[in-house]
Amino acid sequence: MFDAILAKLSAVSRRGGRPDRVSILLPFLIISIGLGALAWRSYHLSTNMERGASALAGQYAGYAAEITARRVDAAVRAEMSRATEEWQQVERRGAEPTFVALRDWVTGHGWIVSAIYVPDDDPASSVYAAEAPALKKNAQRLTREFFTSTGTIRYTYDPQRLLAAQHNAIRQQPLVRKPDRGALAIQQPADVTLVSSVRAEGMEKLDDAFAFTARLGAPLDAFGIRAVVRTSYVGGRGWQNQRVVSLWVSLLALILTGIGAVLALRGLQKESETMKLRAALIANVSHELRTPLAMIRLGAETLKHPKLNEKERRDIEDQILREVLLLSHLVENVLDVARIQNDSAKALAFTPVHPRELIRNLVSTYESWIHSKGFTVSLHLDDAVGEQMWDRDSVSRALLNLIDNAIKYSSEDKAIDVVLRQTETDVVIEVRDRGIGIDAKDAAKIFDPYYRARFSDTTTRRGAGLGLTLVQQILASHGGRVEVDSVPGAGSTFRLLFPRGLSGAPDEVPSLANAREAF
Amino acid sequence: MFHSVSKAIVVAALVTAAAAVSADDPKCSATARECDQQIRQMLSGRRFFGAIVEDTKPGLVIKQITAKSPADAAGLKNGDRLIAINNKSLTQASAKEYKQVLADARETGKLWIIVWRRGAYKKFEARLEPYSKEQIEKIISAHLAHSHTTTAGAQ
Repeated sequence: MFDAILAKLSAVSRRGGRPDRVSILLPFLIISIGLGALAWRSYHLSTNMERGASALAGQYAGYAAEITARRVDAAVRAEMSRATEEWQQVERRGAEPTFVALRDWVTGHGWIVSAIYVPDDDPASSVYAAEAPALKKNAQRLTREFFTSTGTIRYTYDPQRLLAAQHNAIRQQPLVRKPDRGALAIQQPADVTLVSSVRAEGMEKLDDAFAFTARLGAPLDAFGIRAVVRTSYVGGRGWQNQRVVSLWVSLLALILTGIGAVLALRGLQKESETMKLRAALIANVSHELRTPLAMIRLGAETLKHPKLNEKERRDIEDQILREVLLLSHLVENVLDVARIQNDSAKALAFTPVHPRELIRNLVSTYESWIHSKGFTVSLHLDDAVGEQMWDRDSVSRALLNLIDNAIKYSSEDKAIDVVLRQTETDVVIEVRDRGIGIDAKDAAKIFDPYYRARFSDTTTRRGAGLGLTLVQQILASHGGRVEVDSVPGAGSTFRLLFPRGLSGAPDEVPSLANAREAF
Repeated sequence: MFHSVSKAIVVAALVTAAAAVSADDPKCSATARECDQQIRQMLSGRRFFGAIVEDTKPGLVIKQITAKSPADAAGLKNGDRLIAINNKSLTQASAKEYKQVLADARETGKLWIIVWRRGAYKKFEARLEPYSKEQIEKIISAHLAHSHTTTAGAQ
């Protein structure tokens, strides 16, 4: 299957033509699958990491609580046996344990509240001592007794005070000397606290931490040690949660890939369209060049024939002249386009021009050609239009291109109107035909280079698709613009609008090269 | 009843305090009433047996029986060697273990005792008793007399 995909891909890359949608989307699909795999892996890793960190933090909390609880147990036992030992030393020293000795023993241990000594031989001669201050009603009391050589000591003590004295034991020793929190991601050392009433024993999961409560040994089993270990991997909300972050990032990557795919598709489509248009241009131009050349050659061969009368000879000469004009017009167009594309346009020569004269000269020059196509040109020229600073050649070419278009896209009604008038701001040259018109969807594209409206009979009509592009560029170089009104089937009106009074500032007129950049 | 008892104690304390308390003795800072309650609480339960043993290492021999005590009533005598109490063998035990056995029996107070007397085992049944009122009051008044000033007592 993979081979098939490879073969398809290489076929796509070899094929010069317009790449189809699949061949562009396929690489992106593959990239998306790769990204998806990465995202899945990353999600998987972060969940694993979270699970691992949770387990680690939970166990750490458990160990911290349990170890601390046992340390406290040991410390409490040691404290109690120290007290016992001290009393037995008192008994060993003195003959008869007195109130004073008992009192000293009680006050010597801050956590012992009261004690009674009951001698074996005579319980009635027991001694009782209590420490200051007076007993509180709600104070927690535990009782303990131990046997000495001569009697029994029974004492009450305050477990809170006893545990408070063990604060050294209630402290988590760090496992690592200098913990690097960023690397460990769980808190070191744990927060270890003494809780006076154990509600929930064992593991407990908090928002961002694990807590473990370990009960102390009897008789202090109402108390517990609670260790809390925070970890950045547990239950973080939003951006603090690695899992969520990896999901969002992979989503973003997929979206970006999608955007990339769309852009690449559009770019390649545009590129392939341009390529196609260029190929069409070459075909068109060579066809355009061949036809008049054939006509000229035919005419020239006929002229060599000795038995031609004068009229025939003149007709042929006219025909040759027409074809030469057409040919030179075509070549000029191609050259101009080439010049534009090479960014080497010559600076336009702005000279004072009478628009009326320019139009009349142009029409009379090409009159025989126009007539040969069966067209009549009617001129409606406003005498009020004065001299303008124009580049004579380029304006003529623009106008000629419009007339040429009018002839090319004609219908049965072979009439062309050329109007010269002026508005308050512009000098306007209109070329009206009664031809096939332009569809609204084509109207925006007709100025693109190589574009030819896709009429059903495009192939029968000649042209390189450069005419209107050139017209627009020429107008732009004169600071003007082109407007089109068209009704499909009823004809088109192309309107060249030149700003009036341009004559004052020829230097500011952009060259064709600049116009090309603007385009 | 408690009330009348403590009253009697206070009176006793007032009578004896001036003579018994020397100036430099440390004083009990709790009130007499509190001390009274505390002592009663700590002596509660059946604890009085009345036999004192001697640790012969190994083994335990009774060396003194208090008159009119539960031990006396049961028939134990000086010189009896303790073999077992309440299923606990005491042939190798120390005095501490003997006391612990008595302390463990505090709730029910029942004791089954086997002793070795003149070449024969003898079995006894005994019951631990609470400290008698006289004993407790003696302890309390001794405490009050020894460590409570008149002002503390009068309160």
